[in-house]
Parts: sequence; C-alpha cells; structure tokens
Amino acid sequence: MIPLLILAPLILLAAIGAVWMARPVHAALMLALTLALVAVLYLALGAEFIGLVQFAVYVGAVAVLIVFSLLITRRGDEAEEIERRPKSLITGLLCTVPVLAVLAYSAIFGSNIKLIPWEAKLTIAELGETLFSSHAPAVLALAVLLTAVMIGAALFAREPGKTPEDPAEK
Amino acid sequence: MKKTFLDRHRAGCPDHVARASCPPPNQNQAFILPLAAATAEPSLFSPEFLPRLPQRLVEMILTNFGVPDWLVTIAGFLVAAGTVVAVFLSAFALLSLIERKTLARAQNRIGPNRAGWFGILQPVADGIKMLTKEDIVPAKAEKFLHLLAPILIVVPAILALGVIPYGREWTPVPLELGLVFFFAVGSLTELSVFMAGWASGSKFPMLGAMRAISQMVSYELPLIISALGVIMVSGTLSLPHIVDLQGGFQLGFIPSWNIFTPWGLFAGLLFYICSIAEANRCPFDLPEGESEIVAGHMTEYSGFKYALFFMGEYLGLLAIAGLFVTLFLGGWQAPLPGLGFVPTWFWFFGKLALVIFSYLWIRATYPRVRIDQLMRFAWLCMIPMALLTLPAAGIWHFTGRGLLSWVVVLPLMLVPWVIVAVIFNRRLATTTRTYRFADT
Repeated sequence: MIPLLILAPLILLAAIGAVWMARPVHAALMLALTLALVAVLYLALGAEFIGLVQFAVYVGAVAVLIVFSLLITRRGDEAEEIERRPKSLITGLLCTVPVLAVLAYSAIFGSNIKLIPWEAKLTIAELGETLFSSHAPAVLALAVLLTAVMIGAALFAREPGKTPEDPAEK
Repeated sequence: MKKTFLDRHRAGCPDHVARASCPPPNQNQAFILPLAAATAEPSLFSPEFLPRLPQRLVEMILTNFGVPDWLVTIAGFLVAAGTVVAVFLSAFALLSLIERKTLARAQNRIGPNRAGWFGILQPVADGIKMLTKEDIVPAKAEKFLHLLAPILIVVPAILALGVIPYGREWTPVPLELGLVFFFAVGSLTELSVFMAGWASGSKFPMLGAMRAISQMVSYELPLIISALGVIMVSGTLSLPHIVDLQGGFQLGFIPSWNIFTPWGLFAGLLFYICSIAEANRCPFDLPEGESEIVAGHMTEYSGFKYALFFMGEYLGLLAIAGLFVTLFLGGWQAPLPGLGFVPTWFWFFGKLALVIFSYLWIRATYPRVRIDQLMRFAWLCMIPMALLTLPAAGIWHFTGRGLLSWVVVLPLMLVPWVIVAVIFNRRLATTTRTYRFADT
C-alpha cells in the first residue's frame, strides 16, 4: 500500500507534466519519467520481470524513439512552445471527468472487486511457460503484426520511385 | 528470500546476505583452501572471501549490537555496493593510465611518465585538474538537464556493476533476473546521452547525440540477441547461475565455457563487437571522435562533469566487459583443472583485464567507422548473424552437446558467416568513391 501511496502522486505529477510542459523535449522527458515511475510501481508490486521489461522497453526504446524523432525533425535553434488554447481545456475536462467518475464509482461501490494477495509472485519460469503454451496464439499473432509493422514502416519510409543508392557514388 | 533457480541447484545454500555461515562449496570443483578445516567449509578470512570481508564484518558487528534484521540487510548491501564502487573506481583510474600507456606503446611513444614513477600518479593529477577547472555552462543550455545528464550516465553503469558475479561468493546483488536488469539499466544510458546532447544547446552536441543514440540503439539488438542464445542454453536469467553452469571440463582440459561451443564462438564474437559499439569505443567512436565532431555530446562540458562522462563511459565499458566474461568466458571459473586453490575473483579479474586489454589494442589498431558503414554493418550483417545463433544453439543442445553437435552446427554457422562477410565486403560496405583530381 505504501509504495502505491508514494508513487501514485508522483506518477500523476509526471503525467500532468508530460502534457503541460511548454517545450516538446521537456514533455518527452517527463513522459520518460512517468514510464520509469510506472516501472518502479511494478517492481514494488513484486512483478520483477514486467517492471524491468517496462523499463527496458518503454524508457529504453519508446522514450528514446520519441526524443530521437524530436531531435531529427527539429533544428533546435528556435525554442518551440506548444501553443495552449483555453477552449481545449474545457473539451478535455468534458471527456475525462465522466470516464474517471465511472471508474471511481465502480472501484468504490463495485461488488466484483477482489484484492490480490500481496505475496502472489510469479516466477519467470512459470511466466515463460504460460506465455508460450496457453497464450502462444496471441504471441504468434503479435509477432506477425510486428513484422508487418516493420515491413510497412520500411516501405513507407522509402521515397517512391527511387532505389536506395549510396550518395558517395555521385 | 524466495527460492530461486540457484537455490534449487545448490541445496542448502542460504541467501547470500545476513548469514554468518557460508554455503557449501560447488560440487564441480574440489578446492583446497589454506586456512580451511577438514570439512572443506571456507572460513571467513580465506582469500576466497576477501571481497566479502567488509560486508560480513559489518553484519556481524551490527547483529551483535542487536540491530533488527532488515537494517542489517540494508547495511550489508550498502557495504557490498561500497566495495564494488571502490574497486571499480580505482580500476577506472588505473584504466585511464593503462590506456594511455598502451596506446602510446602501440604508437611507438612512451605515454605519461612525469607524474610519479612511470606515471602512476597521472590519474591523481587528472582528477585534480578536473576538479579545479572552471565549470562552464553555455548561455543557451538548459541548466537542469545539463547538470542531470552526467549523473544519469554514471548511475546506470554503477547499477549494472552490481549484478555481475565477480567470484563464487561475490555477487553484490544476486538477482534472479540479473540479465534483464543489466539491459534495462543499459538502456537508460541512451536517454542520458540524448539529454546531454540536447541540453547543451549547440549543434555539435546535438549531432553527436543523434549519432550516439542511433548507434547505441542499432547495436543493442545484436547484443541482446547473442545473449539470448546463452539464456536459452543455460535456462536461466540469473548471472551467478549462468557462471555455475559453465563449470567443469571437457576432454579433460578444455573448460566448458560458452565460447568453446560452436554457436558460442560466433555469438561471443558478435557480443564482443557490439559491446565495443555500445560503449562508444574506437572503432565505433564516431559520436565522440575528436576530428569529426569535437567531442560529440560531451562538447559543452568542462571540469568535473566531463570527468563524470569519462567515468560513466569507462565504468560502462568495465560493466559490459564483465558481462562478456560472465556470459561467454565462464566468469570466475578457472581455465584449467586443479587450479581450485586460486580465489575465483582472481580468474574473473584476470579475464576482465585481458578483455579490456584487447579493447585498448583494438582502439590502437583500427580506424574509425563511418556512420553509414556503422549502421549498415549493424542492421545488414550483425542482426542476421545474431539471429542465426539462436537455432544453432538449439540444434547444438538437441544433438547432445558433444562432437556430433560440433560437426552439425559449425558448418551451419560458418557458411552463412563467410557468405555474408564476402558479400558484405564486396557489395554493401565499400562504396566506390571517385575523386576529381586524384584519379590519375
């Protein structure tokens, strides 16, 4: 309980910072911080593998990808600020407050909520066996999907009509 | 502590911390310790236990004074971490001197020999110089990120040093998921390199950061894939257990390290090359090459922050070299039978020293790789070869791990390797450059 009480406000602050910050790079770094804190939450809950993989994948790959694309597409000379419009705040509140209210109501007054015992830990061997035996179709479908995404991205990034040649050959 | 894979294989071994009694010795290696009793249980002051001595002493003293158990555990971990940090920081200082001397000898000169006998005080002089330099922060830099980046480069390196087994009794933090932890904190380095490059607010650091990130991300894939073969064969992610499984000798004198297997030879070589690229060392040091980009992401740093970058880079190098020794060179296992009386951490640090010396040698020998050559090499050459080691490891396992496996797997790995090397050298890596005036 204590880790959740300490971490949840920090995660919330970092997530608010990720959408509130003026400069895009700051927002991306706050997103990385949010994902890192979520990984810490997983570790505190005893899901060691998921926590470390969250760190390696989200902070180490996704956040790096985001900042890398920011780095490539911006000159960096001018400081860009994300423009804020007061009207979008109202729209945002209209969208999020009902969702959060429904979540809070079902969490507090719901009858099917069960608390998982704190010592329920999964060893990595059991995790691997379950993942690749009973959930194998899902893993295979994910693999096919990711391969298709990679091929699609590579095709998408090619300029149409040109074969890739070395610029030094000119 | 819950039962780990390691515990199930070494029955009766308690958790490594907060116990004054020592675990029974590994059954594969009978060793004779000079101070041990006839029961062959190592005593507290034997050379094998020397690195653990501060931790055990602190724990015994604290338990004597009635300190609660959890506090003793925390204090023990702190002392273990302090031991590791002390050892590796002094190793870093020594390494900076040894590197300069080795590079100098390779270049037919002497190297630093003014500061003390044979230049042994040169790291001290370097430290004093770094500390007394003016701390310049560019006007356009973002102050907080500029300060945070060097710290975030050193922290993952020190974290990663904590899970490597340095000896039979000396893994600072024996995690069951040690390898995933290592790669997870290794990926934090990329983010901090970006922070260093972006927060400096000028062009050279940003270009250097871009190149550094693309290089590190590209070479992380073959690194992890070649480690996957080891995980598959060992069946565990825990580094002490991977080293345990590389004990024993085949044909009487060849140690059964992972590099002496048909797939391990190639996976180890791939891991070795990727570790050079991950640590931004020559020949992959384009992000920080002086003649290319001043100092890359470290350009706008001076004084002690630059020293922190330097330290983070070298500690990362030591960590990933330690992982290479652990995964492929058998960790702390002795190379020949009958050498069991030597403390196991001696073998680890000896192998580590050889690997680091090979890194220095390679730095002195090879020219720098261009960024497009580097990326092509990673994506077109290394990733297919790394992926090929996985079925090779599987076939090796299922054909009995003996001579038949060598006969089956070695051509399976060698033929594509040669083909890719030939094709790559002919068509993909070299580009015909035409010069306007130098052709005649």
